[in-house]
Amino acid sequence: MRFAPTAEQQDLRIAVRELMRDRCPSSVVRAEPDDPAINGLAEEICRMGALGLLVAERDGGLGLDENYLVPLMVETGWAAAPLPLVDSIAFAPGLLSHAGYSDGPDYRKRWCVADPAKRAETRFGQPAGLLLRGGFGGTGAVQLVDLDTAVRSHLAAMDPSADVHDVRGGQELAIVDDPVLVRQAWQRGVLAAAAQLIGLARHMLEMTVDYVAGRTQFGVPVGSFQAVKHRLATALLAVEFAAPVVDRAGHSMASANPGADRDVSSAKALASEAARAVGREAIQCHGAMGYTTEYDLQLYLKRAWALAADWGSASWHRARLAGHLGMSLTGSTPAG
Amino acid sequence: MTNIVVLVKQVPDTYSERKLAAGDNTLDREAADAVLDEINERAIEEALVIKEANEGEVTVVCVGPDRANDAIRKALSMGADKAVHVSDEALHGADILQTSKVLAKAVGTVEGVDLIIAGNEASDGRGGAVPAVLAELLGLPQLTHARKVTVEGGTVKVERETADEGITHLEASLPALISVNEKINEPRYPSFKGIMAAKKKPVEKLTAADLGLDGEVGLANAASTVLESAPKPPREAGQRVDDEGDGGVKVAEYLASQKLI
Repeated sequence: MRFAPTAEQQDLRIAVRELMRDRCPSSVVRAEPDDPAINGLAEEICRMGALGLLVAERDGGLGLDENYLVPLMVETGWAAAPLPLVDSIAFAPGLLSHAGYSDGPDYRKRWCVADPAKRAETRFGQPAGLLLRGGFGGTGAVQLVDLDTAVRSHLAAMDPSADVHDVRGGQELAIVDDPVLVRQAWQRGVLAAAAQLIGLARHMLEMTVDYVAGRTQFGVPVGSFQAVKHRLATALLAVEFAAPVVDRAGHSMASANPGADRDVSSAKALASEAARAVGREAIQCHGAMGYTTEYDLQLYLKRAWALAADWGSASWHRARLAGHLGMSLTGSTPAG
Repeated sequence: MTNIVVLVKQVPDTYSERKLAAGDNTLDREAADAVLDEINERAIEEALVIKEANEGEVTVVCVGPDRANDAIRKALSMGADKAVHVSDEALHGADILQTSKVLAKAVGTVEGVDLIIAGNEASDGRGGAVPAVLAELLGLPQLTHARKVTVEGGTVKVERETADEGITHLEASLPALISVNEKINEPRYPSFKGIMAAKKKPVEKLTAADLGLDGEVGLANAASTVLESAPKPPREAGQRVDDEGDGGVKVAEYLASQKLI
Protein backbone atom coordinates (compact mmCIF):
# COMPACT_ATOMS: atom_id res chain seq x y z
CA MET A 1 0.00 0.00 0.00
CA ARG A 2 1.00 3.59 -0.60
CA PHE A 3 1.12 5.82 2.46
CA ALA A 4 2.06 9.09 0.75
CA PRO A 5 -0.99 11.30 0.32
CA THR A 6 -2.17 12.03 -3.21
CA ALA A 7 -1.95 15.60 -4.50
CA GLU A 8 -5.67 16.06 -3.78
CA GLN A 9 -5.36 14.75 -0.23
CA GLN A 10 -2.40 17.05 0.30
CA ASP A 11 -4.27 20.06 -1.13
CA LEU A 12 -7.28 19.27 1.05
CA ARG A 13 -5.06 19.09 4.10
CA ILE A 14 -3.46 22.45 3.26
CA ALA A 15 -6.82 24.12 2.61
CA VAL A 16 -8.21 22.90 5.94
CA ARG A 17 -5.00 23.86 7.73
CA GLU A 18 -5.17 27.40 6.34
CA LEU A 19 -8.81 27.71 7.33
CA MET A 20 -8.03 26.49 10.85
CA ARG A 21 -5.02 28.80 11.26
CA ASP A 22 -7.08 31.80 10.11
CA ARG A 23 -10.48 31.10 11.64
CA CYS A 24 -9.90 28.83 14.62
CA PRO A 25 -7.18 30.36 16.82
CA SER A 26 -7.31 29.59 20.54
CA SER A 27 -9.59 32.60 21.13
CA VAL A 28 -12.28 30.78 19.10
CA VAL A 29 -11.73 27.56 21.06
CA ARG A 30 -12.33 29.58 24.22
CA ALA A 31 -15.35 31.44 22.89
CA GLU A 32 -18.92 30.98 24.13
CA PRO A 33 -20.86 28.42 22.05
CA ASP A 34 -23.02 31.11 20.43
CA ASP A 35 -20.08 33.36 19.56
CA PRO A 36 -20.28 34.68 15.97
CA ALA A 37 -16.72 33.44 15.36
CA ILE A 38 -17.83 29.85 15.92
CA ASN A 39 -20.81 30.29 13.61
CA GLY A 40 -18.49 31.82 11.04
CA LEU A 41 -16.18 28.83 11.29
CA ALA A 42 -19.16 26.46 10.93
CA GLU A 43 -20.31 28.29 7.81
CA GLU A 44 -16.85 28.26 6.27
CA ILE A 45 -16.54 24.51 6.92
CA CYS A 46 -19.91 24.01 5.22
CA ARG A 47 -18.84 26.18 2.28
CA MET A 48 -15.74 24.04 1.82
CA GLY A 49 -17.99 21.04 1.51
CA ALA A 50 -16.68 19.15 4.53
CA LEU A 51 -20.14 18.00 5.61
CA GLY A 52 -20.61 16.28 2.25
CA LEU A 53 -17.18 14.63 2.21
CA LEU A 54 -18.49 11.10 2.78
CA VAL A 55 -21.97 11.69 1.35
CA ALA A 56 -22.53 9.83 -1.92
CA GLU A 57 -22.56 11.94 -5.09
CA ARG A 58 -26.14 10.91 -5.86
CA ASP A 59 -27.16 12.46 -2.54
CA GLY A 60 -25.42 15.73 -3.33
CA GLY A 61 -22.13 14.95 -1.59
CA LEU A 62 -18.58 14.51 -2.81
CA GLY A 63 -18.50 10.74 -2.51
CA LEU A 64 -14.97 10.75 -1.11
CA ASP A 65 -13.61 8.08 1.21
CA GLU A 66 -11.87 7.74 4.57
CA ASN A 67 -8.47 8.53 3.03
CA TYR A 68 -9.73 12.12 2.84
CA LEU A 69 -11.49 12.02 6.20
CA VAL A 70 -8.22 11.41 8.08
CA PRO A 71 -6.31 14.57 6.99
CA LEU A 72 -9.45 16.69 7.47
CA MET A 73 -9.82 15.40 11.02
CA VAL A 74 -6.11 15.67 11.87
CA GLU A 75 -6.20 19.37 10.95
CA THR A 76 -9.47 20.18 12.71
CA GLY A 77 -8.17 18.26 15.71
CA TRP A 78 -4.99 20.32 15.67
CA ALA A 79 -7.11 23.43 16.04
CA ALA A 80 -9.55 21.83 18.54
CA ALA A 81 -12.35 23.24 16.39
CA PRO A 82 -15.32 23.66 18.77
CA LEU A 83 -17.88 22.01 16.47
CA PRO A 84 -19.42 18.52 16.27
CA LEU A 85 -17.21 17.51 13.34
CA VAL A 86 -16.67 13.84 14.23
CA ASP A 87 -20.43 13.52 14.65
CA SER A 88 -21.49 15.45 11.54
CA ILE A 89 -18.78 14.62 9.02
CA ALA A 90 -17.86 11.04 9.99
CA PHE A 91 -20.64 9.35 11.98
CA ALA A 92 -23.74 10.87 10.40
CA PRO A 93 -23.54 10.74 6.57
CA GLY A 94 -24.31 7.05 5.94
CA LEU A 95 -27.12 7.05 8.51
CA LEU A 96 -28.67 10.29 7.26
CA SER A 97 -28.55 9.20 3.62
CA HIS A 98 -30.29 5.97 4.52
CA ALA A 99 -32.99 7.87 6.42
CA GLY A 100 -33.39 10.38 3.56
CA TYR A 101 -31.88 13.33 5.43
CA SER A 102 -28.61 13.66 3.54
CA ASP A 103 -29.00 16.93 1.65
CA GLY A 104 -32.03 18.56 3.14
CA PRO A 105 -32.69 22.26 2.63
CA ASP A 106 -32.39 22.90 6.35
CA TYR A 107 -28.81 23.84 7.03
CA ARG A 108 -29.08 23.05 10.73
CA LYS A 109 -30.25 19.52 10.01
CA ARG A 110 -26.89 18.84 8.43
CA TRP A 111 -25.07 19.49 11.69
CA CYS A 112 -25.57 16.59 14.06
CA VAL A 113 -24.49 15.59 17.51
CA ALA A 114 -23.94 11.95 18.30
CA ASP A 115 -24.57 10.12 21.52
CA PRO A 116 -23.53 6.61 20.52
CA ALA A 117 -23.27 5.31 24.10
CA LYS A 118 -26.72 6.74 25.00
CA ARG A 119 -25.24 8.62 27.94
CA ALA A 120 -27.72 11.43 27.32
CA GLU A 121 -24.73 13.74 26.82
CA THR A 122 -23.72 15.80 23.82
CA ARG A 123 -20.85 18.16 23.10
CA PHE A 124 -20.72 21.17 20.74
CA GLY A 125 -24.46 20.90 20.08
CA GLN A 126 -24.96 24.62 19.34
CA PRO A 127 -25.18 24.45 15.51
CA ALA A 128 -26.84 21.02 15.41
CA GLY A 129 -30.44 20.28 14.52
CA LEU A 130 -30.27 16.50 14.79
CA LEU A 131 -29.24 14.05 17.46
CA LEU A 132 -28.04 10.54 16.57
CA ARG A 133 -28.59 8.28 19.55
CA GLY A 134 -27.11 4.78 19.76
CA GLY A 135 -24.69 2.74 17.69
CA PHE A 136 -21.90 2.30 20.25
CA GLY A 137 -19.59 -0.53 19.24
CA GLY A 138 -21.17 -0.58 15.78
CA THR A 139 -24.20 -2.56 16.88
CA GLY A 140 -27.83 -1.89 17.67
CA ALA A 141 -30.01 0.80 16.14
CA VAL A 142 -29.37 4.51 15.76
CA GLN A 143 -32.26 6.81 16.46
CA LEU A 144 -32.48 10.14 14.57
CA VAL A 145 -33.96 12.69 16.92
CA ASP A 146 -35.09 16.27 16.29
CA LEU A 147 -32.84 18.12 18.68
CA ASP A 148 -35.13 21.15 18.88
CA THR A 149 -37.84 19.03 20.56
CA ALA A 150 -35.47 17.36 23.04
CA VAL A 151 -35.07 18.53 26.63
CA ARG A 152 -31.63 20.06 26.91
CA SER A 153 -29.91 21.28 30.01
CA HIS A 154 -26.42 22.66 30.30
CA LEU A 155 -23.92 20.58 32.27
CA ALA A 156 -20.87 21.91 34.05
CA ALA A 157 -17.84 20.22 32.51
CA MET A 158 -14.11 20.04 33.02
CA ASP A 159 -13.78 21.63 29.56
CA PRO A 160 -16.18 24.61 29.55
CA SER A 161 -15.58 25.21 25.86
CA ALA A 162 -17.08 21.81 25.01
CA ASP A 163 -20.67 23.05 25.54
CA VAL A 164 -21.75 19.82 27.23
CA HIS A 165 -25.50 19.25 27.48
CA ASP A 166 -27.73 16.67 29.05
CA VAL A 167 -30.19 15.76 26.28
CA ARG A 168 -33.25 13.63 26.80
CA GLY A 169 -36.34 12.74 24.81
CA GLY A 170 -37.11 14.50 21.55
CA GLN A 171 -39.16 13.52 18.56
CA GLU A 172 -37.87 10.45 16.76
CA LEU A 173 -37.59 11.21 13.04
CA ALA A 174 -36.21 7.89 11.86
CA ILE A 175 -34.41 4.81 13.05
CA VAL A 176 -31.54 3.10 11.24
CA ASP A 177 -30.88 -0.51 12.22
CA ASP A 178 -29.08 -1.80 9.12
CA PRO A 179 -26.09 -3.51 10.79
CA VAL A 180 -23.71 -2.70 7.91
CA LEU A 181 -24.51 1.02 8.05
CA VAL A 182 -24.39 1.21 11.84
CA ARG A 183 -21.03 -0.55 11.90
CA GLN A 184 -19.63 1.71 9.19
CA ALA A 185 -20.89 4.85 10.96
CA TRP A 186 -19.33 3.73 14.24
CA GLN A 187 -15.99 2.88 12.62
CA ARG A 188 -15.91 6.24 10.87
CA GLY A 189 -16.64 8.01 14.15
CA VAL A 190 -13.84 6.10 15.89
CA LEU A 191 -11.44 6.78 13.01
CA ALA A 192 -12.26 10.51 12.99
CA ALA A 193 -11.76 10.74 16.75
CA ALA A 194 -8.39 8.98 16.41
CA ALA A 195 -7.33 11.40 13.67
CA GLN A 196 -8.34 14.42 15.77
CA LEU A 197 -6.28 13.03 18.64
CA ILE A 198 -3.23 12.92 16.36
CA GLY A 199 -3.78 16.59 15.50
CA LEU A 200 -4.26 17.54 19.15
CA ALA A 201 -1.13 15.64 20.17
CA ARG A 202 0.95 17.36 17.48
CA HIS A 203 -0.35 20.74 18.57
CA MET A 204 0.50 20.16 22.24
CA LEU A 205 3.95 18.93 21.25
CA GLU A 206 4.57 21.98 19.03
CA MET A 207 3.54 24.31 21.86
CA THR A 208 5.84 22.48 24.25
CA VAL A 209 8.84 22.51 21.92
CA ASP A 210 8.33 26.25 21.38
CA TYR A 211 8.07 26.79 25.09
CA VAL A 212 11.20 24.87 26.12
CA ALA A 213 13.17 26.54 23.34
CA GLY A 214 12.26 29.98 24.71
CA ARG A 215 12.18 29.45 28.45
CA THR A 216 15.65 29.74 29.98
CA GLN A 217 17.06 28.47 33.24
CA PHE A 218 20.72 28.59 34.37
CA GLY A 219 21.28 30.84 31.35
CA VAL A 220 20.23 28.30 28.71
CA PRO A 221 16.92 27.21 27.19
CA VAL A 222 15.39 24.44 29.30
CA GLY A 223 14.95 22.45 26.10
CA SER A 224 18.71 22.06 25.86
CA PHE A 225 18.70 19.74 28.90
CA GLN A 226 18.84 16.10 27.97
CA ALA A 227 16.10 15.15 30.42
CA VAL A 228 13.69 17.46 28.61
CA LYS A 229 14.86 16.43 25.14
CA HIS A 230 14.38 12.76 25.90
CA ARG A 231 10.86 13.26 27.20
CA LEU A 232 9.83 15.18 24.11
CA ALA A 233 11.55 12.73 21.77
CA THR A 234 9.59 9.91 23.38
CA ALA A 235 6.38 11.91 23.04
CA LEU A 236 7.12 12.55 19.35
CA LEU A 237 7.69 8.84 18.79
CA ALA A 238 4.33 8.01 20.34
CA VAL A 239 2.53 10.41 17.98
CA GLU A 240 4.42 9.48 14.85
CA PHE A 241 4.00 5.77 15.54
CA ALA A 242 0.26 6.24 15.98
CA ALA A 243 -0.24 8.49 12.92
CA PRO A 244 0.48 5.85 10.23
CA VAL A 245 -1.76 3.40 12.07
CA VAL A 246 -4.57 5.95 11.76
CA ASP A 247 -3.76 6.39 8.05
CA ARG A 248 -3.81 2.63 7.68
CA ALA A 249 -7.22 2.38 9.33
CA GLY A 250 -8.56 5.00 6.89
CA HIS A 251 -7.11 3.06 4.00
CA SER A 252 -8.61 -0.21 5.27
CA MET A 253 -12.05 1.37 5.53
CA ALA A 254 -11.77 3.03 2.12
CA SER A 255 -10.78 -0.25 0.48
CA ALA A 256 -13.42 -2.28 2.38
CA ASN A 257 -10.68 -4.41 3.93
CA PRO A 258 -12.20 -7.17 6.09
CA GLY A 259 -9.72 -6.20 8.84
CA ALA A 260 -11.05 -2.63 8.97
CA ASP A 261 -12.64 -3.01 12.41
CA ARG A 262 -9.38 -4.36 13.83
CA ASP A 263 -7.38 -1.52 12.21
CA VAL A 264 -9.78 1.16 13.44
CA SER A 265 -9.51 -0.19 16.98
CA SER A 266 -5.69 -0.21 16.76
CA ALA A 267 -5.79 3.37 15.54
CA LYS A 268 -8.00 4.65 18.33
CA ALA A 269 -6.09 2.77 21.04
CA LEU A 270 -2.72 4.11 19.88
CA ALA A 271 -3.92 7.64 19.14
CA SER A 272 -5.65 7.91 22.52
CA GLU A 273 -2.57 6.75 24.35
CA ALA A 274 -0.25 8.96 22.31
CA ALA A 275 -2.38 12.06 22.95
CA ARG A 276 -2.56 11.33 26.67
CA ALA A 277 1.19 10.71 26.83
CA VAL A 278 1.98 13.92 24.95
CA GLY A 279 -0.43 15.82 27.19
CA ARG A 280 1.35 14.53 30.28
CA GLU A 281 4.78 15.56 28.98
CA ALA A 282 3.45 18.91 27.80
CA ILE A 283 2.20 19.71 31.30
CA GLN A 284 5.45 18.48 32.85
CA CYS A 285 7.71 20.47 30.51
CA HIS A 286 5.68 23.65 30.84
CA GLY A 287 6.00 23.56 34.61
CA ALA A 288 3.30 25.46 36.49
CA MET A 289 2.45 27.45 33.34
CA GLY A 290 0.76 24.40 31.91
CA TYR A 291 -1.85 24.37 34.66
CA THR A 292 -3.10 27.90 34.18
CA THR A 293 -6.37 28.54 32.37
CA GLU A 294 -4.94 31.72 30.83
CA TYR A 295 -2.40 29.68 28.89
CA ASP A 296 -3.77 27.76 25.89
CA LEU A 297 -2.31 24.33 26.58
CA GLN A 298 -5.26 23.31 28.80
CA LEU A 299 -7.70 23.82 25.90
CA TYR A 300 -6.01 21.16 23.81
CA LEU A 301 -5.26 18.92 26.76
CA LYS A 302 -8.85 18.79 27.99
CA ARG A 303 -10.09 18.16 24.49
CA ALA A 304 -7.60 15.31 24.15
CA TRP A 305 -8.65 13.77 27.46
CA ALA A 306 -12.32 13.85 26.51
CA LEU A 307 -11.74 12.48 23.03
CA ALA A 308 -9.39 9.76 24.27
CA ALA A 309 -12.18 8.50 26.54
CA ASP A 310 -14.92 8.92 23.92
CA TRP A 311 -15.73 6.63 20.99
CA GLY A 312 -14.30 3.77 23.03
CA SER A 313 -11.32 4.27 25.33
CA ALA A 314 -7.88 2.84 24.58
CA SER A 315 -8.56 -0.16 26.85
CA TRP A 316 -11.98 -0.76 25.29
CA HIS A 317 -10.40 -0.86 21.82
CA ARG A 318 -7.55 -3.06 23.04
CA ALA A 319 -10.10 -5.57 24.30
CA ARG A 320 -11.85 -5.44 20.94
CA LEU A 321 -8.53 -5.90 19.15
CA ALA A 322 -7.80 -8.91 21.36
CA GLY A 323 -11.12 -10.37 20.25
CA HIS A 324 -10.18 -9.90 16.59
CA LEU A 325 -6.87 -11.63 17.23
CA GLY A 326 -8.65 -14.61 18.73
CA MET A 327 -7.54 -13.96 22.28
CA SER A 328 -10.07 -14.43 25.03
CA LEU A 329 -10.24 -11.95 27.83
CA THR A 330 -10.22 -12.85 31.44
CA GLY A 331 -11.85 -10.55 33.93
CA SER A 332 -14.35 -7.86 33.03
CA THR A 333 -14.62 -5.99 29.72
CA PRO A 334 -13.31 -2.46 30.06
CA ALA A 335 -16.06 0.14 30.17
CA GLY A 336 -16.59 2.21 27.04
CA MET B 1 -18.98 37.53 -20.87
CA THR B 2 -15.56 38.50 -19.57
CA ASN B 3 -12.47 36.49 -20.37
CA ILE B 4 -9.93 37.07 -17.67
CA VAL B 5 -6.27 36.15 -17.39
CA VAL B 6 -4.73 36.12 -13.93
CA LEU B 7 -0.96 36.20 -13.57
CA VAL B 8 0.26 33.98 -10.77
CA LYS B 9 3.66 33.36 -9.28
CA GLN B 10 4.99 30.75 -6.93
CA VAL B 11 7.16 32.36 -4.28
CA PRO B 12 9.10 31.25 -1.21
CA ASP B 13 6.79 31.32 1.79
CA THR B 14 7.30 34.63 3.59
CA TYR B 15 7.37 32.70 6.88
CA SER B 16 10.47 30.77 5.83
CA GLU B 17 14.00 32.10 5.48
CA ARG B 18 14.48 33.41 1.95
CA LYS B 19 17.92 33.62 0.37
CA LEU B 20 19.79 33.83 -2.89
CA ALA B 21 21.74 30.90 -4.33
CA ALA B 22 25.47 31.03 -3.65
CA GLY B 23 26.56 30.47 -7.28
CA ASP B 24 24.66 32.98 -9.39
CA ASN B 25 22.74 35.10 -6.89
CA THR B 26 19.38 34.01 -8.24
CA LEU B 27 16.54 33.05 -5.95
CA ASP B 28 17.28 29.83 -4.05
CA ARG B 29 13.98 28.06 -4.61
CA GLU B 30 15.03 24.91 -2.79
CA ALA B 31 15.79 26.77 0.44
CA ALA B 32 12.20 27.55 1.33
CA ASP B 33 8.67 26.20 1.10
CA ALA B 34 7.03 27.39 -2.09
CA VAL B 35 3.52 28.80 -2.08
CA LEU B 36 1.15 30.67 -4.36
CA ASP B 37 1.86 34.34 -3.64
CA GLU B 38 -0.87 35.68 -1.40
CA ILE B 39 -1.50 38.75 -3.57
CA ASN B 40 -2.21 36.34 -6.44
CA GLU B 41 -4.89 34.65 -4.37
CA ARG B 42 -6.56 38.05 -4.14
CA ALA B 43 -6.14 38.56 -7.90
CA ILE B 44 -7.80 35.18 -8.50
CA GLU B 45 -10.60 36.00 -6.05
CA GLU B 46 -11.28 39.26 -7.92
CA ALA B 47 -11.31 37.42 -11.26
CA LEU B 48 -13.76 34.86 -9.87
CA VAL B 49 -16.05 37.57 -8.49
CA ILE B 50 -16.08 39.31 -11.89
CA LYS B 51 -16.66 36.01 -13.65
CA GLU B 52 -19.52 35.11 -11.34
CA ALA B 53 -21.19 38.45 -12.06
CA ASN B 54 -20.57 38.61 -15.81
CA GLU B 55 -19.90 35.01 -16.81
CA GLY B 56 -16.74 34.23 -18.74
CA GLU B 57 -13.61 32.24 -18.20
CA VAL B 58 -10.61 32.62 -15.91
CA THR B 59 -7.22 31.48 -17.19
CA VAL B 60 -4.19 31.55 -14.95
CA VAL B 61 -0.81 32.23 -16.55
CA CYS B 62 2.33 31.27 -14.67
CA VAL B 63 6.02 31.45 -15.47
CA GLY B 64 8.09 29.25 -13.20
CA PRO B 65 9.77 25.89 -12.77
CA ASP B 66 7.85 22.61 -12.84
CA ARG B 67 7.10 22.73 -9.13
CA ALA B 68 5.09 25.92 -9.72
CA ASN B 69 2.45 23.42 -10.79
CA ASP B 70 1.41 23.33 -7.11
CA ALA B 71 0.64 27.05 -7.19
CA ILE B 72 -1.31 26.62 -10.43
CA ARG B 73 -3.31 23.78 -8.91
CA LYS B 74 -4.23 25.98 -5.97
CA ALA B 75 -5.48 28.66 -8.37
CA LEU B 76 -7.52 26.05 -10.24
CA SER B 77 -8.92 24.63 -7.02
CA MET B 78 -10.11 28.10 -6.01
CA GLY B 79 -12.16 28.09 -9.20
CA ALA B 80 -10.06 29.23 -12.20
CA ASP B 81 -10.95 27.30 -15.36
CA LYS B 82 -7.63 26.57 -17.05
CA ALA B 83 -3.96 27.42 -16.98
CA VAL B 84 -0.95 28.20 -19.14
CA HIS B 85 2.37 27.24 -17.54
CA VAL B 86 5.61 28.42 -19.10
CA SER B 87 8.36 26.27 -17.67
CA ASP B 88 11.86 26.18 -19.13
CA GLU B 89 15.32 25.79 -17.62
CA ALA B 90 16.42 28.51 -20.08
CA LEU B 91 14.34 31.04 -18.12
CA HIS B 92 16.48 30.63 -15.00
CA GLY B 93 17.64 34.08 -13.92
CA ALA B 94 15.17 35.99 -16.13
CA ASP B 95 14.77 39.64 -15.13
CA ILE B 96 11.64 41.79 -15.07
CA LEU B 97 11.84 42.68 -18.77
CA GLN B 98 12.29 39.08 -19.90
CA THR B 99 9.58 37.83 -17.59
CA SER B 100 7.21 40.46 -18.96
CA LYS B 101 8.06 39.45 -22.55
CA VAL B 102 7.41 35.81 -21.76
CA LEU B 103 4.13 36.72 -20.06
CA ALA B 104 3.10 38.86 -23.04
CA LYS B 105 3.65 35.93 -25.40
CA ALA B 106 1.95 33.50 -23.04
CA VAL B 107 -1.09 35.77 -22.61
CA GLY B 108 -1.13 35.98 -26.42
CA THR B 109 -1.86 32.24 -26.61
CA VAL B 110 -5.18 32.82 -24.78
CA GLU B 111 -7.96 33.89 -27.12
CA GLY B 112 -10.17 36.94 -26.63
CA VAL B 113 -8.70 38.30 -23.40
CA ASP B 114 -10.76 41.17 -21.95
CA LEU B 115 -8.98 41.70 -18.69
CA ILE B 116 -5.61 40.80 -17.21
CA ILE B 117 -5.36 40.84 -13.42
CA ALA B 118 -2.04 40.79 -11.58
CA GLY B 119 -0.96 41.33 -8.01
CA ASN B 120 0.74 44.71 -7.56
CA GLU B 121 4.05 43.08 -6.64
CA ALA B 122 5.34 39.63 -5.81
CA SER B 123 6.48 39.08 -2.24
CA ASP B 124 9.90 37.77 -3.33
CA GLY B 125 11.22 40.14 -6.03
CA ARG B 126 9.11 43.14 -4.97
CA GLY B 127 9.93 44.95 -8.20
CA GLY B 128 6.29 45.76 -8.81
CA ALA B 129 7.06 46.60 -12.44
CA VAL B 130 5.81 43.54 -14.29
CA PRO B 131 2.16 44.67 -14.60
CA ALA B 132 3.20 48.02 -16.08
CA VAL B 133 5.80 46.54 -18.45
CA LEU B 134 3.37 43.88 -19.60
CA ALA B 135 0.64 46.46 -20.29
CA GLU B 136 3.14 48.46 -22.32
CA LEU B 137 4.22 45.41 -24.33
CA LEU B 138 0.61 44.46 -25.03
CA GLY B 139 -0.48 48.03 -25.72
CA LEU B 140 -3.16 47.87 -23.03
CA PRO B 141 -4.31 50.55 -20.60
CA GLN B 142 -2.85 49.89 -17.16
CA LEU B 143 -4.84 50.48 -13.99
CA THR B 144 -2.48 49.56 -11.22
CA HIS B 145 -2.65 49.37 -7.40
CA ALA B 146 -6.40 48.85 -7.41
CA ARG B 147 -8.19 48.51 -4.11
CA LYS B 148 -11.62 48.27 -5.77
CA VAL B 149 -12.55 47.07 -9.24
CA THR B 150 -15.85 47.34 -11.13
CA VAL B 151 -16.46 45.88 -14.58
CA GLU B 152 -19.52 47.20 -16.39
CA GLY B 153 -20.15 46.42 -20.02
CA GLY B 154 -17.00 47.29 -21.91
CA THR B 155 -15.34 49.37 -19.22
CA VAL B 156 -13.39 48.77 -16.05
CA LYS B 157 -13.24 51.25 -13.19
CA VAL B 158 -10.77 51.06 -10.35
CA GLU B 159 -9.94 52.90 -7.19
CA ARG B 160 -6.18 53.22 -7.28
CA GLU B 161 -4.46 53.64 -3.96
CA THR B 162 -0.81 54.46 -3.38
CA ALA B 163 1.02 55.79 -0.35
CA ASP B 164 2.26 58.88 -2.22
CA GLU B 165 -0.77 59.93 -4.19
CA GLY B 166 -3.70 58.70 -2.12
CA ILE B 167 -6.78 57.53 -4.01
CA THR B 168 -7.40 58.15 -7.68
CA HIS B 169 -10.35 56.95 -9.75
CA LEU B 170 -9.39 55.43 -13.08
CA GLU B 171 -11.51 54.15 -15.93
CA ALA B 172 -10.57 52.39 -19.14
CA SER B 173 -12.26 50.46 -21.88
CA LEU B 174 -11.57 46.75 -22.18
CA PRO B 175 -9.28 45.06 -22.91
CA ALA B 176 -7.15 46.34 -20.05
CA LEU B 177 -4.69 45.29 -17.40
CA ILE B 178 -5.17 45.87 -13.71
CA SER B 179 -3.04 45.13 -10.69
CA VAL B 180 -4.58 44.77 -7.27
CA ASN B 181 -3.34 45.58 -3.77
CA GLU B 182 -3.95 43.66 -0.56
CA LYS B 183 -7.11 45.65 0.30
CA ILE B 184 -8.99 44.39 -2.74
CA ASN B 185 -10.75 41.43 -1.08
CA GLU B 186 -10.41 38.41 1.15
CA PRO B 187 -9.62 35.37 -0.99
CA ARG B 188 -11.85 32.31 -0.65
CA TYR B 189 -10.63 28.94 0.60
CA PRO B 190 -10.60 26.25 -2.05
CA SER B 191 -13.61 23.98 -1.63
CA PHE B 192 -13.17 20.20 -1.58
CA LYS B 193 -15.11 20.09 -4.82
CA GLY B 194 -12.71 22.61 -6.34
CA ILE B 195 -9.71 20.63 -5.13
CA MET B 196 -11.05 17.44 -6.70
CA ALA B 197 -11.90 19.22 -9.94
CA ALA B 198 -8.53 20.99 -10.27
CA LYS B 199 -6.69 17.95 -11.53
CA LYS B 200 -9.05 17.56 -14.46
CA LYS B 201 -8.71 21.15 -15.65
CA PRO B 202 -6.46 21.77 -18.67
CA VAL B 203 -2.94 23.07 -18.05
CA GLU B 204 -1.06 23.98 -21.21
CA LYS B 205 2.70 23.58 -20.79
CA LEU B 206 4.89 25.83 -22.91
CA THR B 207 8.63 26.40 -23.30
CA ALA B 208 10.51 29.53 -24.33
CA ALA B 209 10.95 27.98 -27.78
CA ASP B 210 7.18 27.46 -28.08
CA LEU B 211 6.78 31.20 -27.55
CA GLY B 212 9.53 32.05 -30.06
CA LEU B 213 11.81 33.40 -27.34
CA ASP B 214 14.55 30.79 -27.57
CA GLY B 215 18.01 32.28 -27.05
CA GLU B 216 16.67 35.64 -25.83
CA VAL B 217 16.03 34.75 -22.23
CA GLY B 218 17.85 33.60 -19.12
CA LEU B 219 20.51 35.01 -16.83
CA ALA B 220 23.06 35.51 -19.64
CA ASN B 221 20.67 37.79 -21.52
CA ALA B 222 19.26 39.62 -18.52
CA ALA B 223 19.44 43.41 -18.47
CA SER B 224 19.77 43.34 -14.70
CA THR B 225 21.61 40.77 -12.62
CA VAL B 226 22.57 40.55 -8.96
CA LEU B 227 26.34 40.80 -8.52
CA GLU B 228 26.51 40.25 -4.81
CA SER B 229 24.28 40.12 -1.79
CA ALA B 230 24.68 40.09 1.96
CA PRO B 231 22.21 39.04 4.62
CA LYS B 232 20.47 41.78 6.53
CA PRO B 233 22.65 42.75 9.51
CA PRO B 234 21.20 41.68 12.84
CA ARG B 235 19.34 44.40 14.69
CA GLU B 236 21.58 46.35 16.97
CA ALA B 237 20.79 46.18 20.64
CA GLY B 238 18.75 49.18 21.74
CA GLN B 239 19.72 51.58 24.47
CA ARG B 240 18.42 50.48 27.83
CA VAL B 241 17.23 53.01 30.34
CA ASP B 242 16.76 51.93 33.95
CA ASP B 243 14.01 53.96 35.51
CA GLU B 244 15.22 55.52 38.73
CA GLY B 245 12.47 58.05 38.91
CA ASP B 246 13.85 59.95 35.94
CA GLY B 247 12.87 57.50 33.18
CA GLY B 248 10.48 59.92 31.53
CA VAL B 249 13.11 62.64 31.40
CA LYS B 250 15.63 60.26 29.84
CA VAL B 251 13.15 59.13 27.19
CA ALA B 252 12.35 62.75 26.40
CA GLU B 253 16.06 63.60 26.18
CA TYR B 254 16.61 60.69 23.79
CA LEU B 255 13.71 61.71 21.57
CA ALA B 256 14.93 65.30 21.57
CA SER B 257 18.46 64.19 20.62
CA GLN B 258 16.94 62.38 17.62
CA LYS B 259 15.01 65.59 16.81
CA LEU B 260 11.71 63.71 17.20
CA ILE B 261 10.34 66.15 19.78
